[in-house]
Formats: sequence, structure tokens, C-alpha cells
Amino acid sequence: MNILGISAHYHDSAAALVVDGAPVCAVQEERLSRQKGDAAFPLLAIESCLQQAGMEPDELDAVVFYERPMLKFDRVLTCTLRAFPQSWRAFPKAMKNLLGEKVWMRGIISSHLGVPGRKVLFTEHHQAHAATAFLTAPTRRAAIMTADAVGEWATLSVGDGERLSNGSTKIRRFREIRFPHSLGMLYSTFTAYLGFKVNEDEYKVMGLAAYGKPRLVEDVRRLVRHTPDGAFVLDLNYFEFHSTAERSYSSRFVELFGPPRSPYEPIDFNTAEGQRFADCAASVQRVLEDTMVELAQSLHHETGLTDLCLGGGVALNGVANARLLEESGFERIFVPPAPGDAGCAIGAALYCDRIHFGNPDRDIPDHPFWGPSVDGSELARLAREDGHSAAVCEEGALIDQVADDLAAGRIVGWMEGALEFGPRALGHRSILAAPHTSEMRDRLNREIKYREPFRPFAPVVPIEAAGCYFDIPPGGARLARFMSAVFPVRREWRAQLQAITHVDGTARLQVLEPTMAPRLHALLEAYGRRTGIPVLLNTSFNLAGEPIVNRAVEGYSTFLRCKIDVLVAEGTRVMKRTSGMERTRVNMIKEEVA
Amino acid sequence: MDSARNYERPTVFDRMLMPVHRWIWSDAPRRVQKLFRFGETETDGGRDILRAAEVTPDALLRRLYLEHAIDEFRHGVMFRRRAAALLKASSPSFNDGFQGNWLAPGGHGLDDLQVDGESDSNMLAFLHLSEKAAASRFTVYRDVMQHDPSTRAVFEEILHDETFHMNYTLTQLARVEPKRHKRHLWRARISRLWKAYLRMATGLAGILGSILLTIQYFVLLPPFAWLAKRAEQRESPGWTTVSPGRGDSLDRQY
Repeated sequence: MNILGISAHYHDSAAALVVDGAPVCAVQEERLSRQKGDAAFPLLAIESCLQQAGMEPDELDAVVFYERPMLKFDRVLTCTLRAFPQSWRAFPKAMKNLLGEKVWMRGIISSHLGVPGRKVLFTEHHQAHAATAFLTAPTRRAAIMTADAVGEWATLSVGDGERLSNGSTKIRRFREIRFPHSLGMLYSTFTAYLGFKVNEDEYKVMGLAAYGKPRLVEDVRRLVRHTPDGAFVLDLNYFEFHSTAERSYSSRFVELFGPPRSPYEPIDFNTAEGQRFADCAASVQRVLEDTMVELAQSLHHETGLTDLCLGGGVALNGVANARLLEESGFERIFVPPAPGDAGCAIGAALYCDRIHFGNPDRDIPDHPFWGPSVDGSELARLAREDGHSAAVCEEGALIDQVADDLAAGRIVGWMEGALEFGPRALGHRSILAAPHTSEMRDRLNREIKYREPFRPFAPVVPIEAAGCYFDIPPGGARLARFMSAVFPVRREWRAQLQAITHVDGTARLQVLEPTMAPRLHALLEAYGRRTGIPVLLNTSFNLAGEPIVNRAVEGYSTFLRCKIDVLVAEGTRVMKRTSGMERTRVNMIKEEVA
Repeated sequence: MDSARNYERPTVFDRMLMPVHRWIWSDAPRRVQKLFRFGETETDGGRDILRAAEVTPDALLRRLYLEHAIDEFRHGVMFRRRAAALLKASSPSFNDGFQGNWLAPGGHGLDDLQVDGESDSNMLAFLHLSEKAAASRFTVYRDVMQHDPSTRAVFEEILHDETFHMNYTLTQLARVEPKRHKRHLWRARISRLWKAYLRMATGLAGILGSILLTIQYFVLLPPFAWLAKRAEQRESPGWTTVSPGRGDSLDRQY
């Protein structure tokens, strides 16, 4: 059975193709269109999936959209009516936005793909999140918790999932918390207040939190009240996201926390103002963690299960995930590589296969590499055309050469195999560097990533060595498989792992099993043999404001625009050097035409 | 060659609009907003040109596009830095004021370009005209910025780069399409006019739509709003039970 899953139109569109119960391709539209966070209908991603499977649209048995558009329309309209007359500015925008395209998904999908309307199906948004979290996790039975800003009405849901011995699958949702009461919206409101981009920069708030003290926790708690049944409500006097499109926090919020940060002002922790922003971040982070832990504890008591599958954008918060593992009572926590909306494409397709069509359960390969593959020969061609030396090496020689590069302090752009699905670079489209000195961190921030100095870099470590360098609790290695948790760097190693140790002594590490990315694992071992520490700094292969690279040509153009020293795509290695001949040619043209 | 090396001469249309531009740029908050917007436009344009560098089969064009893209990214940074400096120096009672942003995305107008599907000749013709228009406009902006030497210096520097962009695109177009480069330029001109019309029409349709919807909001919605508020009061806070079978049918859109 061939099922295409689609998520689109809010942020981070994606498509995923499931053939006979297993994904064959999943890719975010932004990686192909090269527009970061591209929310457009994912035509390129769909084409890529079908092409990878060698399939035409008429061979699809179903196309599943990741939410119910009319239910979403119902929520937007109801909230606008409830906020009457304050919502008068938001109403025309919301109606034009929804009625223009978003509510007509059956027709849009049908016309784009040429499939009959009866083949177009819809899951609920949190149903898709739950399916992504449970059906991709290697567990037979687990509690499921999903949390994000908002789907149709639900913002958080709890339930469970089970793979039965007869091959059938069950996913139940017990209950949900509904808009406008939303942990995701709470966090996004602080993201906006702190001068960052909503739906994109939430991780910056998490990074900033480490610089602050949670001294404003009681103030944040005034915004989030517990209800007698163990849920929570937001005090809407402090918010405006439910009534206007202009601002998510109210004047009362500003009275409580002070003036918001200008997005154009750098944060200076030496000033009272800079410290206040860090404290705000620390406080909302603490309240988010506490609330998630309480909800998970209650779910654990209720289900008595040992495994928890987490989905939704809030599951990208690695600090909260680590606390859930420590305090919720669950022994294992599974977070998929793409827990956000993009991942819903895969969840919707799998839900349709297992639950709607009742197909028997199948193990899903436990890796994030579902995108298009990179072509090393393309890099060799480009580099030679531009006068760079490109060497095509044997596997062992390449690993040794790159390990030497890294040990010599060179920064390496590393591309291999299929592109990752999800926001993290997990070793197939990564920038790798030595993790030992703070100078390397500053160099990466200044010369390559062009980003705020307070943001940490992540390490990657082989699973067999992880416990030596990091304080990983039981179950932590699983959670760190897709970089989903933040754990302490062991004190004795912090001085030698400065580039990846955050200000609070932690790191958002990736624990690598050799079967998931064998070449990167071999590289880590080779690097360990040279330096004594088999740990590398691993950051996504992109520049600020750009999506992670996909093809060799995108890696190459990134390589040329920043101070990455070495570029590797499959077996091809390119070393940066200025080619006198080519520069002269461009310079001659410049002189001639200027 | 068609139109190279006349970058410092604004078009008649831009010269006619000079008093308007003088008025727009005289206001500091508006200047800040416009500079931030230019910063975004330059960066977006840079991304499109970068994409052109990634898809072109022509090695020389790849290098030139890449240089061009790097320039555009740098311009984006320059505009943002200048805007941030003005913002820092401005009073706390900063008001956004009238922007007129509904009408056109402004700048290089690369927003509608599907870079992946364009030939090099189309891309070069389009870029040439966009850069020429930008150079003409930026010349006017520089000239009306007598009262703000720092912002004027930013435009001055960017204008220098725009000259290179405007001219290399034309010479490369003549190289790539020696016989038909003029035809490509005319086609690009018509395409720009059509896109300008579409932008204008979309902007006007948007305004009309907003007016109609706002009228509906105040005329038709009050009784429904009252009902929605009453229903909200009856809702209990906290958990909502998900009834078994609620999401079972995937055929429904609601």
C-alpha cells in the first residue's frame, strides 16, 4: 500500500511516503526550496518522495493531510468571535488567510496530484503527532504525550499506544487541553517578548535560560494556573495571541515583566537589562519543565507503563526532556527526530496505514535519514571547475584524512548519504570541528554560523564512550540518539570540551550507535585515536537564516561563503584554497564592467 | 549595449517622486522601518541569487552570482546595522507610522522569481533590470538623504556595488545570448510590468477584501459573538475528554 503524508501551510511543510508500512522517503520542503521554514504546499517534497520511490501519483492509495482544516477554521472563527470586538483587526486577516487556500485542502491536494478526492484523508493534528511519536519508536506499548502551540483545538494531549501480538496497532487519546491554554503558546509568547522569532527561535530561549536565574518563576506561575483536575489554564489577561495578530503578550504582561527586548539589540549579560531577559528565559523554562513533569508523572501513575513517547514541538526542548526522564517515573522516553509539524507528515501516513487501513505493524528503521542522497561526484566536478583540488578517496583513507584535518583544528563540512528528516543535523549534513577550546566555539560563531554568542554547540560521541564524558542517566542514551536531551558534561572533562560545554556545564549531545551512521562513528574513533577524546562538535550544515544543505552544490556554495576549511561529500574531499586564476578572471570582469 | 553605466541617473519616474521620497525619508521612525525592510529584501534577493549560483551549469556565472549574492547579504547587514543604530538613537516613544507596505515588496523584486526553473539568460535579464531599477531608486534615496550623512553613506556604498551588478549582468547576458540578449531584456521588462500589475492588483484586492470583511464583522457577527461568549462561559477549564472514536474516520475534514 502506498500512502503519502503531507504537512503544510503553517510552518515547516513536509511530505513523507510510506510503502507497505515503512517509510521510504520523508523530506521538509525547505530543504528543497531553500526557503527556511517554508510553509508552502510541499510540491517539491512530494516530487522528491515519489521520485525516490519511482512512483507516479496515481499509484498512491491514499494521501493524508496532517490536520482537519475545517476544525481549524472552526477554532479560528470561534476565538475571533469570543474576542469580539477586540478581534476586529485579526478577523479579516484570519479569514483571508484561511478561506484563501487553507480550508480547501481536499481540492488542492486533488488538483496538485491528480488523485481523486476520495483518496484524500485527514488526521487530527495531535493524532498525527501521537502517531509520529509512537509508531516510529521501538516500543511495544507506551504512554503518549503530545504538546505544541496549537493544532485544531488541542494544544496538549495524553494517551497510550500498543502494538498487539496479532499485528494490529492501537493509539488512544484519553484527553486533551484546548486552545488558548497552551504550553507552546506560553513559550512562544516569551520567545516573542525576548525579541526572537516565534516558531523558529524557541531553542534560543532555551539556550538563553542557562545564563539566567529563575527568580521570576512566581511571576510566570501567575500566567499558568493549575486546575483541580491536574491540567492548567493560562490567565488570558496576560496574553493577546488569542485575540489579535499583532502581538502575543498584553500590556499587563509588560507591566509584570518589564519592557520587551528589541530584536535588534544584542543581549549583554553584564547589564541589568540583559540579565533580566536571561532570568525571564530561565523562569519560563523552569515553569515549562515543572508543568511537563507534573503531567508526565500523572500519566505514568495512570498507565503504569515504563515507556513514554513524546511528540509535538515542545518535545524539542531538550532540557525539559532530560528532566522528564529523571523525574516523571518513565524509564524510557522516545522522541522522534522530527517531533514538530514536519514530522506529522510521517505520522499521518503511518496512522493511516496502521489504524485506518488496519495493516499489520512493521518495525520502522530507527534512524532519521529519510531524505535525498548526496552525490560526491557533483562536488568533485564543481570544485574542479572552480580550480579547487578535489580528491576522491577510499573510505579508510578519507576517514584518516578528515580525522587529521579535525585534529589540526580545521573545520569540516560533512555530507554523506541521505538527508536528515527533522531540525537536527545528526551526522549526514553536519559541520564538524574539534570540541576542545572556547576559541573554536567563538570562531564558529563569528566566521561560520554568524549567530548569537550565547548559543551553545552540540557534541556527538560514540555510544561506547558517552558515559566517560557525559553524565547520562539510565535511558539517557536513547533520548540522546536524536539529540533530544541535554545532559551534564562530566566536570573532569569540561576544560577539554569547552566548545560544546554550555555555561551551565551541560551539552545537548548526540549519542551515536555505529549502526546508525557507521562512517561518522568511524571518524569519531579515528579522531579519538589522535586526540584521546572521541568527541566532535556537530552543528547543522547551514548558515544563519538558511535551511540545512541538501545537495552537494548547496554544501559547496556554503563552503565558499564561510570559513569552513574542508568539505566532504561521500568520498570526495575538497580543501579550500584561493585559486589565483579564477579570482583573476572574476576580478577582471569586475574591473571591466565597474 | 543597452543601458549600462548610467546608474547615477534616476529614471524620470523616480525623479518625479523625489518630493515624496524626501517626505518619506525625513521621518526617523519611517526611515528605520524602511531600512529594516531593505535589509530583508537584500537578504532575500541574495538567497535567490545564491540559488541561481547553485543551479547554473555555467562555471563563470556561478562565481559571479556567488559574488553578487555575497554582496547582497552584505547590503542586508549594512541596512540592518544602520537601522539598528537609528533605532538606538531614537526616542522610546517610537511609532511605526504609515508604511504603505501593502503595495509592493520593493527592492529588487526577486520575490516572484522561480530561480530553479529559469534559464541563465532569463535570470541575467531579470537581474539586470532589477539592479538597474534599484540603482535608480537608491540614487534618489542617496540624494534626499542630505540630513543623514551616515545613511547616505550606506546608499553610496551600495550604489557602487549595484553598478557592478547592473553591468556584469548585461555583459554576461551578451556573452550567453550574443544575438538575442535585447529580446531577453524586453521580455524581462514586460514580465516586470506584469508582476508590478499583479502586485498592485493583489494589494488593492487585499484592501477591498479587508474592508468588506471588517464591515461583515461589525454588521453580521455581533449575535454570533454573543453566543460564542455564552458558550465559552459554560466550558469548564482543564482537561477535555477525547471521546472514543472521535478521530476514527479520516474522511472528515472536521
